Amino acid sequence: MRFPSQKVFTKDRIVTSLFFLISPVLVGYFVYVCIGWNVVVSLSDWKGLTPSYNIVGFDQYANLFQDPVFLTALQNNLTLILLFVPTSLSLGLFLAILLDLKVRAEAVFRSIYLLPFALSFVITATLWAWMYNPSIGVINTLIERTGLGFLKSGWITDPNIALYCIVLAIIWQFSGYTMLIFLAGIKSIPESQIMAAEVDGAYGFELYRHVVIPQLKTPALSAFVVLMVFALKAFDFIFVLTGGGPGYSTYVLPLMMFRETFSMTHFAYGAAIATILFLVSLVIVVPYLYLSFRREKE
Amino acid sequence: MDTWLGPLKDNTVVKMVSITIKNLTKTYGNTIAVKDVSLQIKDKEFFVFLGPSGCGKTTTLLAIAGLIKVDSGEIWIGDDMVTSVEHGIHKVPQEREVAMVFQDFAIYPHMTVFENIAFPLKIRKLKKNDIDESVRKAAEILGISELLERKPRQLSGGQRQRVALGRAIVRKPRVFLMDEPLANLDAKLRVQTRTEIKKLQRELGVTTIYVTHDQVEAMTMADRIMVQRDGVVEQIGTPDELYNHPANLFVAGFIGSPPMNFIDCTLVEKGNRLWLDANEFKIAVPEEMANKLRSYVGEEVIVGIRPEDLYETKTVKEPVPENTIIATIDVIEPVGPYVLLHLRAGQLYLVASVKHTRANIGQQVNIEMDCSKIHIFDKKTARAIL
Amino acid sequence: MRFPKFRRLSLYILLVLLAFMFMLPLWTCFTTSFKTVEDVIYTVPMEPPVSPTTEPLRTAFDIMERPLLNSFMFTLAAMILSCLLGSINGYILTKIRFKGSNTVFLLFTIGIFIPYQAVLIPLVLTMSRLGLYNHIGGLILTHTAYGIPITTLLFRNFYGLIPDSLIMAAKTDGAGTWTIYRRIVLPLSLLPFVVAAVFQFTSIWNDFLFGVVLARGAEARPASVALANLKGTTEFQWNVQMAGTLWYALPVLVVYMILGKYLIRGYMAGAIKG
Repeated sequence: MRFPSQKVFTKDRIVTSLFFLISPVLVGYFVYVCIGWNVVVSLSDWKGLTPSYNIVGFDQYANLFQDPVFLTALQNNLTLILLFVPTSLSLGLFLAILLDLKVRAEAVFRSIYLLPFALSFVITATLWAWMYNPSIGVINTLIERTGLGFLKSGWITDPNIALYCIVLAIIWQFSGYTMLIFLAGIKSIPESQIMAAEVDGAYGFELYRHVVIPQLKTPALSAFVVLMVFALKAFDFIFVLTGGGPGYSTYVLPLMMFRETFSMTHFAYGAAIATILFLVSLVIVVPYLYLSFRREKE
Repeated sequence: MDTWLGPLKDNTVVKMVSITIKNLTKTYGNTIAVKDVSLQIKDKEFFVFLGPSGCGKTTTLLAIAGLIKVDSGEIWIGDDMVTSVEHGIHKVPQEREVAMVFQDFAIYPHMTVFENIAFPLKIRKLKKNDIDESVRKAAEILGISELLERKPRQLSGGQRQRVALGRAIVRKPRVFLMDEPLANLDAKLRVQTRTEIKKLQRELGVTTIYVTHDQVEAMTMADRIMVQRDGVVEQIGTPDELYNHPANLFVAGFIGSPPMNFIDCTLVEKGNRLWLDANEFKIAVPEEMANKLRSYVGEEVIVGIRPEDLYETKTVKEPVPENTIIATIDVIEPVGPYVLLHLRAGQLYLVASVKHTRANIGQQVNIEMDCSKIHIFDKKTARAIL
Repeated sequence: MRFPKFRRLSLYILLVLLAFMFMLPLWTCFTTSFKTVEDVIYTVPMEPPVSPTTEPLRTAFDIMERPLLNSFMFTLAAMILSCLLGSINGYILTKIRFKGSNTVFLLFTIGIFIPYQAVLIPLVLTMSRLGLYNHIGGLILTHTAYGIPITTLLFRNFYGLIPDSLIMAAKTDGAGTWTIYRRIVLPLSLLPFVVAAVFQFTSIWNDFLFGVVLARGAEARPASVALANLKGTTEFQWNVQMAGTLWYALPVLVVYMILGKYLIRGYMAGAIKG
């Protein structure tokens, strides 16, 4: 056997290393350096179009927490999270269980329920703008035609329920995803366990309650993290659908960050909001990643 | 007999539980998995379904459990008709009062050993104290009392298997169904557990169906065996019957290790006697058998002889020359208690199992056949004539 | 078998009902795109048009043509780049394990989950300094960089399944690191490339945030931004809005229908979008 000379080996290594170095440079800069830079901006007093890096400590943050707009946005985000995450998980679980019942054309139904998730938020926002339009929109027309006229509403034009309308729409968009995750989890349970449970006497609901659902902790957690992070940074959909209105009823933190930074040029203020968003998602994501890495090692 | 199990909700009188299967057929698409299987299993019997992979033994078992529906036939458990395609009856597994042990044990990973074993009782809504007592007793019998608070992932294969057994015995099933429960254990553990399962079944006195592809397992554990191939029943009998009186070529070759030797012969008549003429030698047919074979004169048959019924002539006191084969030793395999000689006579390959030999590889030896032990099979139908 | 008393019929009815609910918005989008303005006002949204017309589609296309082209260009470019880099990363992280490769992977993975608001300001500053603001190159660079973490994850998961013995055999035969990648790993990578490509195509095409921050101008505007503008400027022309939506949704829908199962595999790798 003839081995290639040492030169080829080294050249080989160099080429590979070069390619591999590109990624850490890109990711390192665009993720970590930029985050750090943003934190620095948040500690400055930059307002207006000329950057200013005078460090003023935590002033921006202090201002935030006294700003009623910020507090409203924060509250809206919380409401969003509390309504969206559990409902989406439950609906996804429900759909997954339905589809697991050896349905013919399972793949077709699955594709239909998942389709909204594959669409851009701009698309779904435009769709739901049409759905929610008070005068000739789909929902109100449907309601009228089925004789339930009293249920008609202003939907996203009504500041009292606009946020809930948004929650409904994003539940529609995400349930296919949670369904997918749960479905994978359910299918990973060996058939023999289901058979054993049936022989042991467990019927439908009991079987799912005792044998199937308890084993769905991992997929549930993974879907939970994804949904949480999304709920924190949900910008596209709300921006296009309501722009935060009416008033501030659908104003959320990512939107506020955008407005403050790019419309009102309060860069440092916006940077502070962004940093808060980042820290909160870190709190959710890092323990989760740590747990799953440890589990992988086993 | 069942007093160790503690009080249960339904104190049924111990009934005789036989299992009857009539003309069971199950097809998957174009494949016939189970073809017209009929059998009767007696009360308290340890009955084995034996056969190579894909022969339909597991399908039959699942049908008895009620986990799959069949295309035709009837199944009775005790006095209960649990399946009847003709009458449109199919009792679900939950109602058949059978217990099943799976090849991969199928124990619930998110429950402790205690909860696993208690599960069937919990589903039946027994009282907490009763459950506790029954579970502990079952665990004691299986020797896993110290493991009750552990989770399955902390257990070894053998321990997990006992948990599966515990879950099966903890209630009063009418029948035990076991699907290759030892297949996932290592060899030494398998042998050990074999005896324990057999003992357990004896003590509990529950009618048991045990599925395996391992004929040694079947032979050592079974009261009776059903040998299956490609969905069809090849033979049903006691281990003794299957070993000494195989009904056809397949059973004869499947049972026994090392397997039976098969020799192609033609039945000829020479003088007043019948001879089995293989190209390399002739065997004289013993008088007692000659009558049965008369109608086959001139036909081709297959002679079967087990390795232990072949002797190196030096060990037999009275050599009868007409039943001797001269063969060369290709391989000598010492197996401990005996020695396997792999022999070649012309185009014929034979294996003999002898107590010891002084011969060497390449040496020619005289091999004699114990003619009272030969089996003769019709070459066309593969069925046993003798 | 699991719900022995449950009637199969009710199950199917429920599934079909849910299917209708899920498809309703898209269906009305489709019907509305072919309606005249009168049809929009006087017919029920779910009904097909009385006098179908392709006029809204043509109007919308005039507005969306350039942005769609832009989207195609930077989506395909960034998709290819991020997949290639992800493949190399996955190879190195699984087959050439070095000290700290797990840490590197962890740092990459965090990049999947960060809210992009946290990098917007520096991003804008960087792009304008590089002269890539309002430029397609800026979008390509951005999407490539932020796509690397997820493609790396996808490839790493897949390459982890390639037996080490294959690599060792190649080394014994004298192959160097890059050769092994080119000759052995890459040819086995058709599936992860398809999964990563489909996933990236969908993610990048669907993006709005980077588009609206980095490329509002007409030269490099993505279709997503154009559609949002369309919605704003054609306030009451629902048919044109829906038509624009349809144009923008079309590529993703086509990909979803043909290669949907690969997209599903991408989602199951624990990934997110947006």
